[in-house]
Amino acid sequence: MTEGMPAAVTLPPSQVEELLRTLVKGLRAFQMYLPNNPVYQRAGHNVRAAFQPLWASGLDRLTLQIVETDIVWEEQVVYHQPNKSESLAWTLFKDGMRVLTLFPGVEEEEIVKFLDIVQRARTLAADAGDDLLTLLWEQDFALVQYHFTEFTTDANVPGLSGEGAYSVAPPTDPNVVESQKEDTRGKVQEEAPPRKSGVVDVEDFDSTLYWLDEAEIRAIAEAVAREYAQDLRSNVLNILFDIVEQRDEPWARSDTFSTMETYLPHVLNAGDFRSVALILRETRLLVRQQELLRADERERLDSLTGRLSEPAVLQQILQSVTEAQTPPTEDDLGELFRELRPAGLETVMVWLPKLPPASAVSVLLASSADRLAETSPNEVLRLLRLPESESLPSIISLCGRLKLQAAVPGLSDTLGHALASIRLAGVLALDGIGTPTALSALERPVDDADREVRIAAVQALGRRGYKGALRRIEPVVQGKVPREIDLTERMRFFEAYALIAGNAALEGLTAMLSSGGLFKRKETPEVRACAALAIGRLKTPESREVLQRYKDDKELVVRTAVSRALRETGS
Amino acid sequence: MSREHEHAGMAEEKSSGDAFLRHAGRTFLLAMYTALRSLKLYPIENATAQKSLDDLQTASLALLEPQGEIELRLSGDFIFVNGTRLRLELDNYASFSNTLAALRTLDVGTLRVATGVERKEWQIFLGVLLALTARGGDPDPERLIEFRDRLALGSVNHIEVDPPLESEDKVAEAEKAREVAKRTYSHGVAVTKDLINSVRLGRTTSITKVKRAVQAIVDQVLNNETSLLGLTTIRDYDEYTFTHSVNVCILSVAIGKKLSLTRLQLYDLGLAALLHDVGKARIPVDVLNKSTGLTEDEWKMMQTHPWLGVLTLFNMRGYGEIPYRQIVVAHEHHMKTDLTGYPKAIRPREMGIFSRIVAVADGYDAATTRRSYQTVPIQPDQVLREMWENPRRGYDPVLVKALINLIGIYPVGSCVILDTFEVGVVSGANPDQNFMNRPMVRICIDVNGALVGPPGMEANLAAQDGAGAFLRSIVKVTNPDRYGIIVGDYFV
Repeated sequence: MTEGMPAAVTLPPSQVEELLRTLVKGLRAFQMYLPNNPVYQRAGHNVRAAFQPLWASGLDRLTLQIVETDIVWEEQVVYHQPNKSESLAWTLFKDGMRVLTLFPGVEEEEIVKFLDIVQRARTLAADAGDDLLTLLWEQDFALVQYHFTEFTTDANVPGLSGEGAYSVAPPTDPNVVESQKEDTRGKVQEEAPPRKSGVVDVEDFDSTLYWLDEAEIRAIAEAVAREYAQDLRSNVLNILFDIVEQRDEPWARSDTFSTMETYLPHVLNAGDFRSVALILRETRLLVRQQELLRADERERLDSLTGRLSEPAVLQQILQSVTEAQTPPTEDDLGELFRELRPAGLETVMVWLPKLPPASAVSVLLASSADRLAETSPNEVLRLLRLPESESLPSIISLCGRLKLQAAVPGLSDTLGHALASIRLAGVLALDGIGTPTALSALERPVDDADREVRIAAVQALGRRGYKGALRRIEPVVQGKVPREIDLTERMRFFEAYALIAGNAALEGLTAMLSSGGLFKRKETPEVRACAALAIGRLKTPESREVLQRYKDDKELVVRTAVSRALRETGS
Repeated sequence: MSREHEHAGMAEEKSSGDAFLRHAGRTFLLAMYTALRSLKLYPIENATAQKSLDDLQTASLALLEPQGEIELRLSGDFIFVNGTRLRLELDNYASFSNTLAALRTLDVGTLRVATGVERKEWQIFLGVLLALTARGGDPDPERLIEFRDRLALGSVNHIEVDPPLESEDKVAEAEKAREVAKRTYSHGVAVTKDLINSVRLGRTTSITKVKRAVQAIVDQVLNNETSLLGLTTIRDYDEYTFTHSVNVCILSVAIGKKLSLTRLQLYDLGLAALLHDVGKARIPVDVLNKSTGLTEDEWKMMQTHPWLGVLTLFNMRGYGEIPYRQIVVAHEHHMKTDLTGYPKAIRPREMGIFSRIVAVADGYDAATTRRSYQTVPIQPDQVLREMWENPRRGYDPVLVKALINLIGIYPVGSCVILDTFEVGVVSGANPDQNFMNRPMVRICIDVNGALVGPPGMEANLAAQDGAGAFLRSIVKVTNPDRYGIIVGDYFV
């Protein structure tokens, strides 16, 4: 029944039915759209409008009974939805709501909040710690009232002592009663000190106890503010690590480790890298304390950190780092990346190229990758031998940049990769390393099927003056290799030849430049030009002298090459 | 009523004191109504008037002989005769209402009739009552004074009238609040018991129930903290772990309210307080309930409950998110403000305000309770004094002050001897802040040494006589066991 409704109010139930229909539609709209969406806003408007006829009729409150899948007003069913999963009534009923009362003004703000809570309650997981009542309570509604039934049956609620009967049954025999009274009176008089003048001694208490002074009130307010400003995750993590240090019972530590293992995903899921960093930092310190933890405990704790480097986990971490609305601080990220294990290298190398090069994340992650590669040659070799790995180009490049000599065998393997781009990267990396072994590995790509790879290898070998390569380069220079090569590639071979052979190459090259004499093979102008450029690379007085002789050659291409070579030699 | 029913009713009345009082009280009240009506309608010489006075005298004697005194008390919509509530029935309610209305008009809350009352005194009493009520108007304390004066002038020595102890609405409200409080408290204990037992047995438990219980406690403390605070005096030895958790929750929320925490902050605090000892669910029951002193090893085991609580809460299912604040409080509540308690803090830590509040509530409730390894509880005032004066206890002094501010220097549940040689139980702080050292007391033993059954007789120690002297003052705090008083009985 609607309490407090003036007798004169005549409101057809259809109005209430219409309101409930609108509320249900609103509930759907609020569920599907964001507040800035026109559909959401229209639904809000409709809900507000639907209340107007009710209040205009003089109704001072709308009291609805919730009966399973029905809502009843004034003993009439005004809402019926037998399908429980769709029923507003059932959503309210199943958590115990039996009466819902709405007051005028509820349509302004509270009804939307109310429907929002109803929607949240609908979607709660079965083991959620909240239900409709607890969620509604938190809102502290002023214009929405509700009555709930409690879960606990009376049988579970203990009676309070003294309920129904005295804990100590009073005697009934008048003689006993009188005797007891006498006895009690005597005890009271014996125990009580002499009667005082009517007031408690001021010495008995400190009257200032009854009041908190301004400073105390301020201190409390500040403490409450600190309570809510604190980093609770860090706080509880410190507690867990304290427990590990203080309790040496194996089961206690095992329980704590289990808790941490379960907790870590929560922290990651929350994007709380500060806490992740704390876990890593504290774990590192604990694992180092040989005397504190047993070997199996150290191993287990260590594996907690190790999990972060597992490809699937690390991929999630990097994804959340890059997508975080509030980016983690460099310190926290540094802490996290510093703890990455070799198992994470592949994932790191996949992610690195995707990051903005100058970003803090990229710089910190690259630094972590460098550390991992330098300290984990086996992992580097393993990755270099994964031809399908997405990380291969990055790891090859990293090896070169870091001049990782231990990576040379792996890099050599990459020179046989099916993709020219990988072979090229391998060449560049080996060039970067530049050790005899690395240069030796570069001989093979001189004959690579790909022009770019060949050029890169030849350039590298030439620049390094690796004499071992002469046996592959010289035949090309001398035209003994039946290969179609363009001018640029030929030039690189000539230059490399000069750089490797040095003055010993001058005679042969001069012969090529001077092409066309008696008994001499006639070289094409392009070959002569290449020879000129190669001579220029020798940078000796003899080479300059040779070039001077051909600066006015009749072939334009030769003259141009000679001029350039002379410029490069500084003449 | 059929004869058979009436017969059965008489038999019942004889067998029970309450039933006798109900019957005799009803007869007395009806006789008073009849006499009042007769004197209003007829001159005093009229036979009907005379007979009605005879009947009233007879009815009063029927009560006075076995009881020694008649106390007719009006409380809300109820009438009590010597502490027993009269049942209103269709055939008598109008008579009762009429009499009550007449008494209320003169601001009479209690009518006392002593042995030795004479018929003539009734005649004068009713005559003055009729004369004064004929003026109409609202209840007025001035008219009560006039009523008393005129009774004194007429030498009416065996009939006294006193003002209401509290306003009727307040009484009714207090009664309702007490009922709600009892439900809230019992429910809190049941939920806590279920939670602790579930943890002990490794079963999943409903956190929703816990949240609902705490929300109800917060609501109750915000609406009427006194009624719920009174229930914290219940000391159920067998249910100590559960009642203690609920008590700490209530005290913490009440302290939080004193400190002006918001409703949601009180909720957070209440949850933390209710769960602060959840780690005890993992302490062996034989240690937890050991009645003799604990060995050193057992003490060490007891001292593990804070961190066991941490792990328990971490793994408690059903929280939308991990209950961080509750974990921190479970861990810190025995640490002491200077961190010299247990468990020791290795990493830098400052005890949070919620932990400090719960520590104060916990320390107070634990010390004032008889439990397995503390068979003699310490009196509340001594506990407060120790908490306040001994810094080594490690309680936040500001919060101890807040607790004292909340429950007074004589806290709710203190058993006190008054300078009247009455013994009572402190039921609440004085609503008048000028009399914080003069709490409300429920008299349990009267001046004659007679036990006054629950809920006792409410006395405001700030009440003064005409000369400004206090009617009652506390002279000593005593042990209720000495007088066979079960403090909790006076709050339920």
